[in-house]
Amino acid sequence: MGSTHVGIANGTVALGWSNHPNALTAGETAGRMASHRMTDHRPRWAVVFASSWFDQPKLLEGLHRALPDVILVGGSSAGEILPDGPTSHSCVVLAVGDDGMEVASGLGVGADRDPRLAGHEAALQALKRFQGKSRSGFLLFGDGLVGGYTETLHGVQEVLGTQSVVAGGLMADDLRFTQTYQYADDQALSRSVVGLLLGSCAIGMGLEHGFEPISRPLRVTAAHANILQQLDGHPAMDVYEEYFGDEVMEHVHEKSFTRQLIAYPLGIQGETTDAFLLRNVREFSADGSVVCTGEIPEGATVRLMIGSKELALEAASRAAQTALRSLASVRFVLLFDSASRRALLGSDAAREIQQIRHIIGLSTPLIGCYTYGEHVLSTMQTGAALVIAVGE
Amino acid sequence: MTNISVRTILLLTASVIVVAILTIELDWMIKLLAILVLLGSMTYVTLALDARQGQVKELSQLRTTCEQLDQQAKRIIRSDLELHRTQEALDRKVASLLALHALSQRFSLGHGPRDPRRGIPSEGEGRVNLHPEDLYGQLTPSLVSSFGFSKGLSGVCQSTGRVSWKTLVGVSEHEAQQIEEYLHTSGLISQALANPMPRAVTPDQTNPSAATLLALFQSRCVVLAGIKPSAGPSGCLLLAREDAGLSSEEGDQDLVGILADQLAIAIESSALYEEAWNARQGLERTVQERTRELEAANAQLTRLNKAKSDFVSAVSHELRTPLSAVKGYASLLSTGQFGSLQPAQKERLSKIEKHADLLTDLINNLLDIARIESGRVTMESRPITVKDLLAHLAELFKPQADAKHLTLSMDADGVDQLLGDPKHLPRVLINLLSNAVKYTPEGGAIRLSMSRHNGQIVTSVKDTGAGIDPSEVPKLFQEFYRAAHPINEQVKGTGLGLTLVKRIIEAHQGTIQLQSEIGKGTTVTFTLPEHPSTTPQKVG
Repeated sequence: MGSTHVGIANGTVALGWSNHPNALTAGETAGRMASHRMTDHRPRWAVVFASSWFDQPKLLEGLHRALPDVILVGGSSAGEILPDGPTSHSCVVLAVGDDGMEVASGLGVGADRDPRLAGHEAALQALKRFQGKSRSGFLLFGDGLVGGYTETLHGVQEVLGTQSVVAGGLMADDLRFTQTYQYADDQALSRSVVGLLLGSCAIGMGLEHGFEPISRPLRVTAAHANILQQLDGHPAMDVYEEYFGDEVMEHVHEKSFTRQLIAYPLGIQGETTDAFLLRNVREFSADGSVVCTGEIPEGATVRLMIGSKELALEAASRAAQTALRSLASVRFVLLFDSASRRALLGSDAAREIQQIRHIIGLSTPLIGCYTYGEHVLSTMQTGAALVIAVGE
Repeated sequence: MTNISVRTILLLTASVIVVAILTIELDWMIKLLAILVLLGSMTYVTLALDARQGQVKELSQLRTTCEQLDQQAKRIIRSDLELHRTQEALDRKVASLLALHALSQRFSLGHGPRDPRRGIPSEGEGRVNLHPEDLYGQLTPSLVSSFGFSKGLSGVCQSTGRVSWKTLVGVSEHEAQQIEEYLHTSGLISQALANPMPRAVTPDQTNPSAATLLALFQSRCVVLAGIKPSAGPSGCLLLAREDAGLSSEEGDQDLVGILADQLAIAIESSALYEEAWNARQGLERTVQERTRELEAANAQLTRLNKAKSDFVSAVSHELRTPLSAVKGYASLLSTGQFGSLQPAQKERLSKIEKHADLLTDLINNLLDIARIESGRVTMESRPITVKDLLAHLAELFKPQADAKHLTLSMDADGVDQLLGDPKHLPRVLINLLSNAVKYTPEGGAIRLSMSRHNGQIVTSVKDTGAGIDPSEVPKLFQEFYRAAHPINEQVKGTGLGLTLVKRIIEAHQGTIQLQSEIGKGTTVTFTLPEHPSTTPQKVG
């Protein structure tokens, strides 16, 4: 990719990028690029997204060399996003200088054991470091392979309150579904939650997916947390067999199949609205249950969803417009885009980024990543585009 | 129960009730009213039954429609999935081809000047200058996933049949060691090198070795390809994906084959390039050594030449004094002051004088050359009137030319002045004209001409003499060299004349060259700057 727009910077915000195969060099190159492009300021904090293929400790070492004394948050992804479009096997950096914004990061570990506590710890640590300043929002980076993320969000809300703006994404691992990483300063951790508390700024968010229901409504007759056990009284896997056919079900335990299924998420029908909360299938268990990327409430009505490129692109535009609605001006934009959307859009994935750029302004710095989940407040989605605009 | 049977029961019931009403003793009005109520009820029930029948039918139709829609949804999902798979396969093929193209561009750009000590370059550098072995390290995660695989290994095969891994993608070092051990013991490496075509290893119950390899990779599909360049180290490439089913494509092996071929070609080119590079380096080293030797020899020669000049100068001085005495006494004797001389004595004295003159010339020339070479002589730059010079030369050579019936002509072509040393520069022309007269047979012609050309005064002395073999021309300016010529056998000479001429011309910042053709004559041309630099020239 040409990466001609990586050079976009607006005084206190600069982007860096590298696809060097050596993790240490990639981290250092991307970090230095962002640092050097910030002519009048020194980077104070940075958001980093990088491929899970990198040797993560080396990558962070390289980043730390280039950006010493910088608050660093982010995580591994299923593809990185730059203003020019999507990229892979790379490291992207958005560095922010001292522009009056208040920031503090927090880390919560052991999200697989106690997701609520992990969220609680991350928020509490950030809040302590924030020292009572006025809060604008909390960016959260979770592990896309650990269940109970709604619990994590509840843990955050316990500290910050239910009215706080909390948004972010579930970090990914290039659709390998093995291990994801969350970055906290010079550490790359798994099964963790990293948060960044922002103050003295305005934050706008837009979350849209564009998927449509395709199957008949199905009642969740048995479910526990993110494990969907029965639909209409039958093992949940039977529904997939019914809709996707016998031949496909031969490969039901292969990762390639689950990768393909992310284009067909499960939609949980809202009780009071027509909106659907999307969940991706992470794996099929031997007992016929289905492990999903988010909680599935028992008794809910769910439907298999299907997407189209046009609807996905329209949804991305809507998300960008919603994010800008409450802002007078935009400093930079973070995009958490579902990995299923990249799978759906294929070679048109760059069009989605261009549409968003045309709405936020071509000169607005933007980076992003492809995720296993996106959330705003306590709404956890998969298959959606989450546009987070930070400005005035 | 069907609607028909319900209606029959109703009709029978109504008939029984009517009979009952008619048989009961009641006022006929009441009986009539009861029958009317009964009929009304029956009509209502019948209508209700009809309505229910319609609703059931509608519901049934609706259910059928829903089922049809659901069936269509399943067909849509399956078609969409198929489309999705096709698109994914196509995207992957495109990505593989783009990756191959990018790799080939990087490899083809990589044959510029390079420093073999360099390490692996950046992927973004666009230029690959690697040792052949380093090319096995070009298997990046990006390349592996572009080909639709999640794991990859590439390495160099040793003569012992072992593999030294250069790239590990998605495989730990421990796993790579185990895989290497298995490849070695199972003989798969030897097979891959014997037939480098890629082979896919997929689950096969009849082939336990396939199962072992797949288990080591924790994958369901492994593609193994040998890399066998005609120059440079052989190696192998293994790509694996966790799933064999949906993602397997027939074209995968072909693409991996192209990748292996491309690597082989790049390794081959790199090996040849390195060979050429090493040869060039060796050659450069040899040239440098020879240059140093030559420089040392040249310095030695310069020292020897100076020593020779000093020696010649010293010896000549020592010789000239007694020679002057010999010449003086011979001259005195020939005058008869010491008594009359016999003709035989006169002849011998004449020979002594002649040889003494020759020896004096030789010594003088040698001294001049030695002086010029040693830098002890500085050429002056003073105006010399050409007209006077030519008159002097004519005076000198006219009698000799006339004696041999030679036509002697001189043409200054508007050149009226030369800048040079008035003592040495005329000697050049005297020497050249003297040679011309000497080597031109009777009836021939000698022409001295001058002209201006590009800030230079070009002077040439042309004769119609016997000419010189062109192979001898370069040697003519060497000291003591005398061309093979019949005249030289009769006419004595020192072999220093042209050497001296060349030294004098070069000391005047000029050049000299000689052209000759046997039977046609010789032309000696020298140039002198019209405006020589002010710094006095020394030749050393």
